[in-house]
Amino acid sequence: MRALTVATLAGATLMALAAPASAAWHGYISHPLGFAFAAPGDLKMEKGTYQAAVGGKHDSIVYRFVDDNIEYKAIVIDMTPQANQAATLLGEAEYIFQDGKKLLMDSFGRVDGHYGRKLTIDLPNKGGRTTAAFYFVNGRIVSLQATVLPANGDFDTPEMGRFVDSMTFYTVRAANDATELPMPK
Amino acid sequence: MKAHSIVRNEIGLRGPLKEDIMRRIAIATLLGASLAVMTAPANAAWKSYVSHKFGFSFEAPGEVKVQNGTYRGQISGPQQTIVYRSVEDNIEYKVTLMPSFKQAQAEGANILGERAYNFQNEKKVLMDTFGRVEPGKDSIYGRKITVEQPNNGGRTTAAFYFNNGTLYSLEATVLPANGDYASPDPGRFIDSIVFVLTRTQPGATELTMPPEE
Repeated sequence: MRALTVATLAGATLMALAAPASAAWHGYISHPLGFAFAAPGDLKMEKGTYQAAVGGKHDSIVYRFVDDNIEYKAIVIDMTPQANQAATLLGEAEYIFQDGKKLLMDSFGRVDGHYGRKLTIDLPNKGGRTTAAFYFVNGRIVSLQATVLPANGDFDTPEMGRFVDSMTFYTVRAANDATELPMPK
Repeated sequence: MKAHSIVRNEIGLRGPLKEDIMRRIAIATLLGASLAVMTAPANAAWKSYVSHKFGFSFEAPGEVKVQNGTYRGQISGPQQTIVYRSVEDNIEYKVTLMPSFKQAQAEGANILGERAYNFQNEKKVLMDTFGRVEPGKDSIYGRKITVEQPNNGGRTTAAFYFNNGTLYSLEATVLPANGDYASPDPGRFIDSIVFVLTRTQPGATELTMPPEE
C-alpha cells in the first residue's frame, strides 16, 4: 500500500513536471475603452492597422499575450466617425475575418446586452485555429481572438473559448484585481 | 420477284403507320402539356417595388398589401413597424420595416443582432450566414437565416439589414399547404433587396405608407 502511494505521488509529480508550464490567468480592464477580459501570459501592447471597403483604413490597438503556444489578442478599432454604420461595420469585420478560410463555427455572441458573433476558423497552410468574438461598443469594434498555433497542436483546447467568453462590458464584472490596460501615447 | 414485291409492300405500309403514330404522340403531348398547365398552381408574375422614403426596393409575387405592426425587443424596445405582405402559391412574403432608429444608429449592430437572434430563438436553424447587399464601399452587411417553424408550421428564410436608422427584415415562409420546402422562391425574394436605387428594376411600383391608426 505504501509502495502504491509512493508510486502514485511520483507519477503525479512527473506529470506535473512534464506538462507545459501554463501561466495563471489574470484580469485586465480598460475604463476608457469600456471593456475587460482575462488572459494568461505577459501583456504586450502593439499598434495595428485595419482596412476594409466600407470601414476604410483605421489604426487599431492590439493587446497581445502568448502562453503555451496559444496567442491571445484583444483588438480595438476606433470607428467613432462612422458609428452610424455600426451594423455594417461589424458585419464587414466578421466577414473579412473568415473570408477565404475554412469556417468551423459561426454563432451568436451576446455579452452584457451587446450582440455580436463568435467564429472559429482554420488558418491557411496549417497555420493553426482561431476562435474570435466581435462586438461593436461605443463606436469601436472590439474583437478577442485566440489562436492555437501548430506548436501547441491541441486545436480543441477550451482555452480559446475561455478567452473570448471572458469579455465583459460592465466594468463592475471585471476581476477585482484586474490590471488597467495601457493606452497608446 | 415475288419476294421483292412483298418487301416493297411492307416498306410501303411502314410509312403511313409511322406518321400515324407520330401524330398520336404529338396530340397526346399537347394534351398532356395543356393539362399540366391547367392543374399547376397559378403563379403570379414577380413585380418590383420601391420605397424612396425608406431607400430600398425588392421583388415579390402576388398582391402586396401594407399594414401596421408591432415588435418588441429588449434592446430595441417597443417598435411600430410597417409590413408589406403578399401570399402566392402558399408562400407568404413579408417585408417588415422598423424606421425609428435614426437616433440610435450607433446601436445598429446590437439592434440587428437582437432581431436576428429573436427570429431563430427556439427554432431549428437550417442556415445562418452572412448577407451582403451592394458591392464595395456601398456594401450593407446583414444576416440570412433559414428556420423551421414549430409544429410543422413551414419553413422561413429571412434576411436582416440595418441601414440609415431603419431595420429591414425580409421573410418568406413556405407554408405546409405548399410543401416544397426547397423552393427557390424564398431565396429569390430575400436576395431581391436593393439599397442603391439605381439598381431597382425600371417601372417598380412605389410602396405606400399604411393607413394612420
